[in-house]
Amino acid sequence: MTREARIGVTLGGLLLLLGVAGPIIAPDPLAPMSGPLLHPSLANWFGTDQFSRDVFARVAHGARISLGVALIAVAISTLIGTAAGLIAGASTRSGSAIASRCIDLGLALPRVVVLLVLLAAVGTLPLPLFAVVLGLTGWPGIARLVRGETLRLRHAPFVTAAEALGANTGRVLWREIFPGTLGPVLVAATLGVADAMLLEAGLSYLGLGVRPPHPSWGGMILEAREYLGAAPWLLLAPGVALGLATCAATLLGDALRRSLQPDAK
Amino acid sequence: MSGWLLRRTASAIATALAAAAVLFVLVHYLPGDPLAAVLRDRPATPDVLAALRQRWCVDCSLPHSFARYFGALAHGDLGPSPSENRPVAMVLAEHLGPTLLLGALTLLIDFTVGLALGLWAALRPQSRAARMVSALSIAGYAIPAFVVGMILVWLFAVTLGWLPPGAIADPLLPADAPTMTVLFDRLRHLILPLATMVIATIAVPLRQQRAAVLAVAAEPWVLAARARGVPPLAVAWRHCWRPALTPVVTLLGLWLPMLVAGTVFVESVFAWPGLGSLIATATEDHDVPLVMGAGLLLIVMVQLGSLIADLLYRVVDPAQRAA
Amino acid sequence: MTPLLEVDRLRISFPRPGDAPLVPVDDVSFALAPGELLALVGESGCGKTLTGLSLPRLLPAGAEIGADSSIRFNGQEITGLSERELRAIRGRRIALVFQDPMTSLNPVMRVGRQIIEAITAHQRVTRSAARERAIALLTEVGIADPATRVDEYPHQLSGGMRQRVMIAMALAGEPDLLVADEPTTALDVTVQAQILELLDRLRASRGMAVLLITHDLGIVAGRADRVLVMYAGRIAESAPTATLFRQPAHPYTRGLFASIPRLDATNARLPTIAGSVPRPDRWPTGCRFHPRCPVAIPHCSVERPPLAEVAPMQRAECWVAQGEHA
Repeated sequence: MTREARIGVTLGGLLLLLGVAGPIIAPDPLAPMSGPLLHPSLANWFGTDQFSRDVFARVAHGARISLGVALIAVAISTLIGTAAGLIAGASTRSGSAIASRCIDLGLALPRVVVLLVLLAAVGTLPLPLFAVVLGLTGWPGIARLVRGETLRLRHAPFVTAAEALGANTGRVLWREIFPGTLGPVLVAATLGVADAMLLEAGLSYLGLGVRPPHPSWGGMILEAREYLGAAPWLLLAPGVALGLATCAATLLGDALRRSLQPDAK
Repeated sequence: MSGWLLRRTASAIATALAAAAVLFVLVHYLPGDPLAAVLRDRPATPDVLAALRQRWCVDCSLPHSFARYFGALAHGDLGPSPSENRPVAMVLAEHLGPTLLLGALTLLIDFTVGLALGLWAALRPQSRAARMVSALSIAGYAIPAFVVGMILVWLFAVTLGWLPPGAIADPLLPADAPTMTVLFDRLRHLILPLATMVIATIAVPLRQQRAAVLAVAAEPWVLAARARGVPPLAVAWRHCWRPALTPVVTLLGLWLPMLVAGTVFVESVFAWPGLGSLIATATEDHDVPLVMGAGLLLIVMVQLGSLIADLLYRVVDPAQRAA
Repeated sequence: MTPLLEVDRLRISFPRPGDAPLVPVDDVSFALAPGELLALVGESGCGKTLTGLSLPRLLPAGAEIGADSSIRFNGQEITGLSERELRAIRGRRIALVFQDPMTSLNPVMRVGRQIIEAITAHQRVTRSAARERAIALLTEVGIADPATRVDEYPHQLSGGMRQRVMIAMALAGEPDLLVADEPTTALDVTVQAQILELLDRLRASRGMAVLLITHDLGIVAGRADRVLVMYAGRIAESAPTATLFRQPAHPYTRGLFASIPRLDATNARLPTIAGSVPRPDRWPTGCRFHPRCPVAIPHCSVERPPLAEVAPMQRAECWVAQGEHA
């Protein structure tokens, strides 16, 4: 494993540990501690916030939320995107053409814009719905990738061989082409986790994503704005956590991509 | 070439319009209170409500609404903004400048410093400095831009006090202040947002250039040029850098969507009065027409970027011109 | 007549940290007279390309030329020259033609510009004069309609034309020696013949020497004046072409000839040389060919034979060929 991959796995593992074990060993994220805006200490590892809540507990719970939202979103966009891409690349008949146009349209709509327009119209979204909506906006990227791979594989000799043996399009698609797309899809999904985390954090930072009482790293950074001078740990704890999480996902995605295409740098 | 350009432009316009249409239809069917931005939690009598519903076409059917909106759009009218009570187009125009300024400067730095660093890193790929630069650029890219921005604000504005924490200019500066002072003030306000944008985006051209040059340097025609006695500078320029340019050029098209995504969050960190922070506050205010208008503008910018990238690709790669 | 090129005990090694160095070219010596066509024949991995690249000193990074190796061009020792001095030789005295015309031409530069670049690297001429020369060179290598072709990009030309362009670029500096590394391997058979004929013609008209590096014995017949057969980094046999074809002395050469399919062959199986080419990090002891040799004697695995004369003008690095018995 390259050094990058090792760093990515280590970071990812640490954060996973934080998300899984953290909330167990940490105090209640909503319960007030000894006082507001306390420095990090042995009692409160990351200090306390303006409501005397333990910051470490909030960061740990935030890990669960960020990761959970990102995974749900990626699962949805990968499913839809793969299906759309396969259909679009499968043939030149009308069904595929329509799917292809849909993908092109989806690509023309910047994800941030769609999310903001949706949020402007609807307002607050409950957390699971937010994750779903995040996923529903992320499929065009994966779809384009899968469409490209499908088109490429369609002309591969082993596909022609299967067709010559009498397999119909659907079967060929499922048994021959789809497995060939799994590699790139995995890479895209991993990078998609980074993307989703980024978007969720960003939207929470704008006050539009994950709302209180759920703790989220983005939301914590938003709250930290007022106390930058007095209590920088309010920014640094979630900020560093978020940075490490997205770095881990990006490094893993890059490492996966490199292992699947040994010639690419 | 001009035939292709015409067709490609038409395609870009069509795609933008289609995307806008999809967005419009989507919004039409979404649940939510369209008058929230207008009323802003103030109570209203049934008469006022009825008048408002009439004015804002709340009960209109989709075709009616659609025709109204896009009909007006054809005349450059994006409708009024309920939260600002002014034409959307006017609000957008006011906020376009700062975003373009930030975006243009980021583009400039990314594609000069970024490309230069990428080239440098490719020419000595094993050196520690080169690997460090590459690693740092990835970190900058992966870490969310607004986090980078906030940390920069904390470091340079709050802790060290060297630079202002936000805004585009000092509101307390008198109107008749000397030009140099004004310029200096603007510069001070520009540094942190620009640094944030550059840190967040420079990895892309840098690593792409590095990869492209590394790939090209191994190509046989480089050895063939050396075998002809071509001086090393000419070899590096004509035979290494020029062919490596092709994949980098396509980045320009990718770049605009990246800018769009980044701009929303970064501008919010610095209260930079551009499209990004506009769209963020408009969303908070549930001002759908304004968000739609800004969104449309961003859709157009993305298509424009894609068009420019395709154009540049054709110019740079001779094999494409035949196609 | 002073030889144009004298290569003496050429040794190319790649030092490896913590390990013995790789020596893909080991003690190669030969000479080339002006206007002569010398063929360097061998399988892939025998070191022939490295030998060719060592002449203008375009070896890959990490390669070292042996301390007592000597390459003398026109009487001048060129192994110790600086990069700057070498650049004056590259293209101007020694020119290189590469194997794959697809990738040996810069795809984003017009063909004419690349030729002009080769011209201006060694002479000061005006743009128009250079362009004239480029068109003249294209005509010389047999490209039809050169005035149009000169402004085209490589992808607009066929494989054969691209190779001709490569040759034109090589000729731009009026070299005394042309090193052609597998110039026809990537081309169709009919085009191969044309290119070889072209090289022949140019040799005659310009008095240029040619070092033809190839794995194909077939293209050597009737064209080369002399042939060097290389195996495992050393010269196994050297002889005038006719002599080599009539009476190959080294068992390896014999094996090569025997494995060429013949139309009048009666037996069904194609004879092959047993075993496979050894790797540069595992050269056999003694004679490097002995593990695969059908006539090897015990002495062969113990001591390496010198490249000694076995017939007038024919030398072979083989104990058996030199008259020894078991």
